[in-house]
Amino acid sequence: MATTATAPAYTHAGSEAESGLWSWLTTVDHKRIAALYLGTSLFWFLVGGLEASIIRLQLMFPNGRVVSAEMFNELFTMHGTTMIFLVVMPLSAAFFNLLIPLQIGARDVAFPRLNAFSYWVYLFGSIFLNVSWFVGSAPDGGWFGYTPLTTLAYSKNLNIDFWMLGLQILGVSSLAAGFNFITTIVNMRAPGMYFMRMPIFTWMAFITQFLIVLAFPVITIALVFLQFDRFFGTNFYEIAQGGDPLLWQHLFWIFGHPEVYILILPAFGLVSEVLPTFSRKPLFGYPVMVYSGMLIAFLGFGVWAHHMFAVGMGPIADTVFGVTTMLIAIPTGVKIFNWIFTMWGGVLRFTTAMKFAITLVALFTIGGISGVMHASPPADLQQTDTYFVVAHFHYVLVAGSMMGLFAGVYYYYPKFTGRLLDERLGSWHFWLFFIGVNLTFFPMHFSGLYGMPRRIYRYDAGQGWETFNLLSSIGVGFQILGVVIGFWNFWRSRKSGEVAGNDPWGAPTLEWSIPSPPPDYNFAHVPRVTSRYPLWDVKTPHPEPPPQRASVSPRESPRRLPTAKDLGIPMPNPSIKPLFVALFMTLMFASLIAIHKDRVQLAVVLVIVFATALTASLYGWLLTPLEDEH
Amino acid sequence: MHHKFRPRRLARAALTVALAASALVVAACSPYPNSVFHPRTDTNRDVGFLFEILIWFGSIVFVVVEAILIYTLVRFRRRGVARQPEHVHGNTTLEITWTIVPAVILVFIAIPTVRTIFRTQSKGRSDALQVEVIGHQWWWEFRYPQFTKRSPTGKLDTVVTANELYLPKGRTVNFTLKSQDVIHSFWVPALAGKRDLIANHTNYLWFTPDSAGTTAYNGFCVEYCGASHANMRFRTFVVTPDEFQSWIAYQATPAAFVLPTPGQAVANNAAAVAQNPQLAQSQVPSNAQVAPQRNLGGNPAVGHAAGANAPTVPSAGPPGAGVPVAPALSTTPPTSQAGFIAFPRERMPSYTVPTTPTPADVRFDDLYGDPARGADLMAKGKGACLGCHTIRGNPSMIGQIGPNLTHVGSRTTIAAGLFPNDTRHLTLWIKNARKMKPGVLMPTIGLNEYDPQLGATVKIGLTDQQIADVVAYLQALK
Repeated sequence: MATTATAPAYTHAGSEAESGLWSWLTTVDHKRIAALYLGTSLFWFLVGGLEASIIRLQLMFPNGRVVSAEMFNELFTMHGTTMIFLVVMPLSAAFFNLLIPLQIGARDVAFPRLNAFSYWVYLFGSIFLNVSWFVGSAPDGGWFGYTPLTTLAYSKNLNIDFWMLGLQILGVSSLAAGFNFITTIVNMRAPGMYFMRMPIFTWMAFITQFLIVLAFPVITIALVFLQFDRFFGTNFYEIAQGGDPLLWQHLFWIFGHPEVYILILPAFGLVSEVLPTFSRKPLFGYPVMVYSGMLIAFLGFGVWAHHMFAVGMGPIADTVFGVTTMLIAIPTGVKIFNWIFTMWGGVLRFTTAMKFAITLVALFTIGGISGVMHASPPADLQQTDTYFVVAHFHYVLVAGSMMGLFAGVYYYYPKFTGRLLDERLGSWHFWLFFIGVNLTFFPMHFSGLYGMPRRIYRYDAGQGWETFNLLSSIGVGFQILGVVIGFWNFWRSRKSGEVAGNDPWGAPTLEWSIPSPPPDYNFAHVPRVTSRYPLWDVKTPHPEPPPQRASVSPRESPRRLPTAKDLGIPMPNPSIKPLFVALFMTLMFASLIAIHKDRVQLAVVLVIVFATALTASLYGWLLTPLEDEH
Repeated sequence: MHHKFRPRRLARAALTVALAASALVVAACSPYPNSVFHPRTDTNRDVGFLFEILIWFGSIVFVVVEAILIYTLVRFRRRGVARQPEHVHGNTTLEITWTIVPAVILVFIAIPTVRTIFRTQSKGRSDALQVEVIGHQWWWEFRYPQFTKRSPTGKLDTVVTANELYLPKGRTVNFTLKSQDVIHSFWVPALAGKRDLIANHTNYLWFTPDSAGTTAYNGFCVEYCGASHANMRFRTFVVTPDEFQSWIAYQATPAAFVLPTPGQAVANNAAAVAQNPQLAQSQVPSNAQVAPQRNLGGNPAVGHAAGANAPTVPSAGPPGAGVPVAPALSTTPPTSQAGFIAFPRERMPSYTVPTTPTPADVRFDDLYGDPARGADLMAKGKGACLGCHTIRGNPSMIGQIGPNLTHVGSRTTIAAGLFPNDTRHLTLWIKNARKMKPGVLMPTIGLNEYDPQLGATVKIGLTDQQIADVVAYLQALK
């Protein structure tokens, strides 16, 4: 190993000059883009959480009157859309950005400026989607946007326009990032980093990118049909003209079910990094973990119609989709047991990251079991579109994805910032969130099986649902407390947290061999990899976490690291052009809104203007070399 | 039946009390009236068996996994000086074991699943009761195509009702499901799983409500369908076959209250009388006998008192003195004389009675409504009721957009299960439906009322007196 594992804290050369606003707008450094993704997605997490809190306030008691029916519909639509597209996916992307190059021993991603573009498209797309609140037309068709409710005949205002254009914009971001990461992983692995030596997070990220590039084109097509229907009067879904509402459902779920795995596999990957480190044992059954991830992803494309048992597809289709769905339980179950046996025989340290990771294992099991219950079509017909389903997918996405992602935040925060999060605050964050999640979502199993439909803004008294709804709403209070403490921890520790050093946890993978935060070039010398756990091979035996953690106090003047220039490493130049391209693309899509307002000429003019600006900035981007000429 | 040997009224009363008591017991035993575990139909018993398998296996898997996990966490937590754990990379035998065990469990789930799929989705019985369900934003239309006859005008008349579904106990019902607009989903949790209603598609569902007593169940729309998705509900009444026959025969008749002037209407009514002589006394009023009904804005109790003044069940009084203006809170079940007109309100379980609050800013003063005047207003197109609603037997009311109102007075709720069908709620509903139910297509009709959808005040509408008249007329349509 070229860099030693005991490097103390340091600062980047000339870090003041590099920390201004302009440096963030023009950055192409994957670690800074990761930080941008992290900050932005955590902000939207608060927004999505606020939306959920209002929903729970409305449903706390029968006949709630906190918000109107229309507002409630906007809230649950935007809660789902926000949490899926603006929180879990980009929060995962923050880890892809930070970790993929570090874990494979690369200096950056394959296309650094495309990476910046992906982020800016995400940011502008998320803003566009939420601008709808301020013009009083937030999307209200559900995150699934079923036609014909979302066609012009039944949704005459701008609500759905914001939603479909916003999703289209965000899709560009995901696709660009997907191709970027696939290229990075295929081409930029350090010498000796064979596929079967790749850290398991990078493996899960790799599989996720394939899901993204295969699933997003399908929703893109579905959305293009919807845009043509709404803007140009075509009849893909218009029922009065013989359009087929089920075309949308099939296309949406062919995207929508793989999307579920896009949301959970990165969290699985993070947990598979955290559990071995704090058990001081390698991941149990690494090859099986890789194959089960692939199998889950592969099967994920063959089960979409289990979201549609109620549409009446007939017994043959019900049987096929029911059985394929059950099959997914097998690789998922394998993962659960492999995680448990990773800990078996280990020396377990219950850090906050570890607590979140264990919770994913414990609670995802509940979501998995209720998932098998949905896989049985006759039983599903009694469950679907009730709160039982709401309970199921929140156990998957909150108790699963979010727990895993929080584990990732606590585990990798030192790599982002060079400082540790406070473990005491972390413990409060964990326990309050843990209690809150279970108190909120477990009673929903009951309200669902006792007949409470989803997406209702009010319910009558005396239906047997009062207790469960009250408990669910109280649970949200615990979640809010936990999240507030956690976010305070995230905010405060970036300045005042304990200095982490290279490897505060005694972890086995490559990213912990370099300083925290890493210098812009990551690795002074490209590492040569000889095993799955290079750092453990170097440091064995390692009875205790490495001692350097406490050896440097924040007050000590940090060592100055050599710059890329000192080392003669060519680095990509910062560029504002990806931001411009992203901005003009978003504005181009947004201009289509004018069509709905019967300002077709204005729309045409705006689209031409922004398309021209987009093309010009894209040319500027392409004509500027990535690195300085030598 | 035992009532052959006893005075009929007494038997009815006894039966009513017994049923009410049993309903109470059922309600007390199960605080979860909409539970999916009620074994009230063949389908739900099949599904209940599946649920049992799923819940048992699920619980076992859950307990085993969590037990191993917790044991691991306790046993291998770091204690004192940490030892160096052995670096185990895997164990093929173990991994094959926990691949095969779930697979075997899934076989035990899959086999009954597939059997149940094919049993519950087999072709419906040919002798089943056919019911056509049509979803609308945001109400339910139920049609009984086997009960279609040619009216004197040559038109085919099918028994059609709205938001209230009557099913005979013990007979398989074959539903044909369609949608007029967006996707809806038909669900009575106590009876069967759901099935979507999709425009340009036809769906099917059957089940046999064959166990427990006769009672009422809640039904829901469970596919998100827009602003008032939460307010698209219905009531399902499972009644005895006799009651069902009586009910459907009555539903097949034209409206009970008709204006005497148009010849056509009288002819229609005559046909009804000929078919069901019992109706002759009770349902056909003469113009002179129409007594004004006290209409009230706030207090249902006043309505009750008013009902006592004007006998509500006409044939309870001397023949000819009957007034067809039964107030909503009639205590005498209409079944007592005129067959089974409607599911008696005192047998309605409490969970089927809506508790929706009314908007504070829609008010109504106590006014006497004259049903004849109300009928006349509607016939003349005042309030534009005729644009959307049909009242069979009233030649001017032939609208096809809204619910059929032929026997609206006999229904227990209005606005798709949103409010009880009593004078106060019906009055407020007609005055300003759009403040009562978000997004509703029915316009605000009260003069000078604010229409929240148009964002404007209604300039051509009905006065409070006119609304009271219309309500009196609608309530007469038992």
